[in-house]
Amino acid sequence: MIVCVAVVGHQNNPLYIQSFTDADDALKLHHIVHCSLDVVDERVNNPKKSGPTLNETFLGLLYPTENYKVYGYLTNTKVKFILVTTDLDVKDADVRNFFRRFHAGYVDAISNPFHEPGKKITSKTFAERVSNIVKSFGFSSTA
Amino acid sequence: MEEYPEEMRSPPVSLVSVVGCSELHSSISTHLHSLDPPINTLALPDLSKVSLLLPPPKPNPVPGDSSAPPPAGILKRDWLLKHRTKVPAVVAALISSDRVSGDPAQWLELCSEIDNLKGLIRGRNIKLVLVVVHSNSNEEISEDQMVAVRKRAEVDAKYLLTFYTDDGSQSKQSLDRLGSVFAELAGIYYRDEGRRIKARIERKTSNPTDFNIRYSFKVAVYAEFRRDWVEALRFYEDAYHTLREVIAGASTRLSAIQRLVEIKTVAEQLHFKISTLLLHGGKILEAVTWFRQHNASYRKLKGAPESIFLHWEWMSRQFLVFAELLETSSAAIQSISPLTIGTSERPLTEWEFQPAHYYQLAAHYLKEKRSSLDFAVSMSEGEIDYSAESVAPSSYLGQFARLIEQGDTFVMQPLTDEEYMRFAISEGKRFQDSFEIIALLKKSCESYNNLKVRRMASFCGFQMAREYYAVGDFSNAKLLFDDIASLYRQEGWVTLLWEVLGYLREGSRKHCKVKEFIEYSFEMAALPISADTGIQSFRFEESGPAGPATLQQRETIHKEVFGLVSEKLGLASIENGDDLKVCDDNPLHLEIDLVSPLRLVLLASVAFHEQIIKPGKSTMVTLSLLSQLPLNFEIDQLEVQFNQSHCNFVIMDAQKPHVASLADGQSGRRRETAPSLQLSTNKWLRLTYDIKSDQSGKLECISVIAKMGPHFTICCRAESPASMDDLPLWKFEDRVVTHPTRDPALAFSGQRATQVEEPDPEVDLTLDANGPALIGESFIVPVTVTSKGHEVNSGELKINLVDVRGGGLFSPRDAELSTDSHHVELLGISGSEGEDESQLNTDEIKKIQKSFGLVSVPNLKSGDSWSCKLEIKWYRPKPVMLYVSLGYSPDNNESNTQKVNVHKSLQIEGKNAITISHRLMLPFRRYPLLLSRTKPVPDSDQSVSMPSNETSVLVVSAKNCSEVPLQLLSLSIEGDDNDDTERSRSVHGGEDLLHPALLVPGEEFKKVHTVTSEMNSSKLKLGNVCLRWRRNSGTREQAGSAALVLTNHRLPDVNLESSPLVVSLECPPYAILGDPFTYFVKIQNQTELLQEAKISLADAQSFVISGSHSDTVYILPKSEHMISFKLVPLSSGAQQLPRFTLTAVRYSTGFQPSIAASTIFVFPSQPHFKMVAVGDERKESVVAE
Repeated sequence: MIVCVAVVGHQNNPLYIQSFTDADDALKLHHIVHCSLDVVDERVNNPKKSGPTLNETFLGLLYPTENYKVYGYLTNTKVKFILVTTDLDVKDADVRNFFRRFHAGYVDAISNPFHEPGKKITSKTFAERVSNIVKSFGFSSTA
Repeated sequence: MEEYPEEMRSPPVSLVSVVGCSELHSSISTHLHSLDPPINTLALPDLSKVSLLLPPPKPNPVPGDSSAPPPAGILKRDWLLKHRTKVPAVVAALISSDRVSGDPAQWLELCSEIDNLKGLIRGRNIKLVLVVVHSNSNEEISEDQMVAVRKRAEVDAKYLLTFYTDDGSQSKQSLDRLGSVFAELAGIYYRDEGRRIKARIERKTSNPTDFNIRYSFKVAVYAEFRRDWVEALRFYEDAYHTLREVIAGASTRLSAIQRLVEIKTVAEQLHFKISTLLLHGGKILEAVTWFRQHNASYRKLKGAPESIFLHWEWMSRQFLVFAELLETSSAAIQSISPLTIGTSERPLTEWEFQPAHYYQLAAHYLKEKRSSLDFAVSMSEGEIDYSAESVAPSSYLGQFARLIEQGDTFVMQPLTDEEYMRFAISEGKRFQDSFEIIALLKKSCESYNNLKVRRMASFCGFQMAREYYAVGDFSNAKLLFDDIASLYRQEGWVTLLWEVLGYLREGSRKHCKVKEFIEYSFEMAALPISADTGIQSFRFEESGPAGPATLQQRETIHKEVFGLVSEKLGLASIENGDDLKVCDDNPLHLEIDLVSPLRLVLLASVAFHEQIIKPGKSTMVTLSLLSQLPLNFEIDQLEVQFNQSHCNFVIMDAQKPHVASLADGQSGRRRETAPSLQLSTNKWLRLTYDIKSDQSGKLECISVIAKMGPHFTICCRAESPASMDDLPLWKFEDRVVTHPTRDPALAFSGQRATQVEEPDPEVDLTLDANGPALIGESFIVPVTVTSKGHEVNSGELKINLVDVRGGGLFSPRDAELSTDSHHVELLGISGSEGEDESQLNTDEIKKIQKSFGLVSVPNLKSGDSWSCKLEIKWYRPKPVMLYVSLGYSPDNNESNTQKVNVHKSLQIEGKNAITISHRLMLPFRRYPLLLSRTKPVPDSDQSVSMPSNETSVLVVSAKNCSEVPLQLLSLSIEGDDNDDTERSRSVHGGEDLLHPALLVPGEEFKKVHTVTSEMNSSKLKLGNVCLRWRRNSGTREQAGSAALVLTNHRLPDVNLESSPLVVSLECPPYAILGDPFTYFVKIQNQTELLQEAKISLADAQSFVISGSHSDTVYILPKSEHMISFKLVPLSSGAQQLPRFTLTAVRYSTGFQPSIAASTIFVFPSQPHFKMVAVGDERKESVVAE
């Protein structure tokens, strides 16, 4: 299950962060998302290490915490997407698929002429769309 | 890691025992220890004491007996230690040689000791070595005796050694032999033991699982003794995997909790061994993967709920130990690149190779343990405190038992689970977990910081700070929290910042730090947490003391802090019980600068409407305030401060007259009122007022001080709207952004500073110059200072001459450096006429340089004037800008009053007054042949050549090229030095100009000289023309005042050349119609050669000619040939003589006289001239038009 998704801007500031848990551990998830930015930085700044993942938007598993897995995605405009999930056995393809759909949603949201680049995304449509993508996350592989 | 016993942490070392001959023990054990691999030695002084070392063997349980009772535990606690320190692989009996070769009694004693030894090691497979010690190399023991000893001991021949003690080299050999035999036998012993145990594992199915684990462990240890790491690793892993099978049955057992503890302890030990072996083998990837599996297998194995804290403690220890292991082998880690490792399905991430990661998780589990333990303690409260003293670790690893004293001996009695839990809880209570957690987090934090991983480090720091906060160490917590808060502020993580600030705020409340409390409260209240984000309600415990990050909470904080500053509420201090207040004794002043996080709370933007203002004229200044606090609030009074303090003013709320009345008693302070001083969220409060300043210079708004309540002020640094930074944090928010001023142009260009100009000068400065300046004269520029209202005090006049063209300033320094630039020079400044010269000299500062002058102006009353004259001299024609500036202070009294400056400039053209030209002429109708003229040499210069030994005429003319009439006083040619002898010329001195000649513009003055060269030199210096002149100014007095100017003009040198032929034409000055006259052509040969010349004469209409038309003549050397023609004029008037042509054959050059020279005037009849004598001898000086 996806517990948290986030969009992080150029100054590593959160543009959109939403958790999907019933338990009230949103703050913890915020910490996790924030800490995962270190790994994104590390991967982006040392691309030689990541060899095959050069020019790849999907950053893969960023870091394992005890109960969560954190995945990252970097758009061409250097906006970061972070995904936190509790599933311990996740297929990379699922995550890639998720990020692709999420990216499409993000692009639509910021294409809104009333959206100012670099500011938080407050669109309700985007939020709905994200929650739909998140809900369908587990089923996408079977469907 | 330190809590593990030494035998666990280091690889095992073979153990041998030496018995007897104690004097050799130290050398033997030192030698064995220094071997590679080393061997530890257990030494006993003599053979009879050997039973102390090896107690008689117990009967072994029959292996493979399925009916045997299940074992009491998995691993014996002291088994490893026993094998490392007590059970030798080899026993070496050292027998001195005299006992072997001695008498039968000694022999018998020896035999019995050997028998005894054999009995002890029998069944244990311990190897026996006999060493016969020779103290003397000469000593020989017979072969028979050796065989007898060997038979007795039943050892192989090669294990009966002789040892020589005396000689160095032999003793060394003996030691070496001993070492190799020991190593060999120890290897055999450990291999055999391993095989023996392995054989038991073969029958695995019939064994209880516990035994299999034990056997695998033992095999692995024996392999380690042999340094067979691969096998050791395999069997450790076997044991580990077998242990997993045990877990399944563990919960059904009677004492499930203790069983689980035991299993985990064993697993921990096995895991530790495996990790150590992997890491020492450099297999970091495998080690990390192994640890991950270990963690995954056991993490869910929490056991009974009441014992869960034991699980967390165990987990924490796993991470800590692994972190330490990883750290000790961290040198190898550096070379690992994380992404090349890790399988594709389970990639390993960067941090999994960093000890910091494991330290952090160790701390995490320790925290879990603490909370579980707290719960367990609270559950067990009320029960009788169990005395823990009698509980001790039992003989099996991971088991505990109660020691019961029975007479002299202690008996181990197993514990029930309840008893064990009470013991564990009371043990757990003894430890201060917080400090342990902080230490772990600190390690992690430092490690992350070293890796420049700031956010992870911050997170660790945050957890650390929370621990500090929990234990009440607020100063440490504050340091960390502040550090973390700055990162969150920078990156705009509002919710995380909210949490951190919550701790800081609560901490300041607890420790009575009012200022900090208010600062943190303000910042929290102004954070961009909107109603939307408030939907995610955080659990109270989770969000710390800050409470949930919601708009309501912000409002609550807002109210609380305003209650405090308005002195309605006190700050309830927990520390010492009394309330804290902002009051008379404790006024509070906050500073908000450009980088303060409190800019969110109050932002002051100040814009002057004009960039430049006149002194005394008023302009508008707009003061705009913005706050992001969630609720409206009122400011009692605003004070605006400028760098010119007299401009400061105070703004009062018009609706609160009582406030205004009780405001400060400072008199003279300007006071303004505003309709309202209420600020609402994200809405500019704009106030516009007049402002004026009499003082010139920069007028800048420094700060705006807002006063709220009687004892609380916020000093806000003023910012320019044009260069205002975005609000931190709020810049990411989707909010309405408005301009600080109503006029959008002002919002983009407005500055908080304006320039106040100087007051307008009321003094006239005039520069008079009539016309262009002439080169050579000292040009006078009168400067007049006339006061028209201002008094002139300590006035100073600066004069600057600047090149117009290049813009290159004649700065004094440049002028000094390059002499070439002195085309124009400031000669002097003379004071005003009628002023006393002596006074002028003493009082005035007068500095004059080539292009710069400074002169002081005397004090002038209003209406007075003062003037001086500037003398400027031009050396070259050049336009020049003359800048004159007058600086003065209009007030007499104050030294600090402003100076007023008046600037004037005038462009003056410098022009040549007179151009001098000259001409060289030969006498009329006389033509010397100058060869240089006939053959133009390509590189010949333009210098004029003149025939030598001839008299030439030099005409010097001076032309007035200025626009003013000039008086010419004299013109003369002067030789350079004393080389007058080189030429002869007729000089008519300048003094012969009786009256100065007036030259109107464009007029030319000519003077004629004759030049004769007599010398044989090739060059003739003509000398300098000296011209004395002055400006002609109408009246006679002024003419006298105008200075005399001497202009020198150097005439170019003339080349002297001897001419081979000279042709001269002779005819009368005029002719009369019909009257014949003779026309002579004289050809003079000046050479030593015969000259051939062809002559011809063309016909002319006006004359009848007699003489040969063409001829060839030969002229002898140094002689003259004369040809004569008779001519009769036929018509009157100026008539052209017949053209005469001469060709010199030797020089291939022809000659024809000019038309002017061959013209003659023919009178119709004899003219009558009336000769008038000229009064003076000026025959050659003519004033010509």
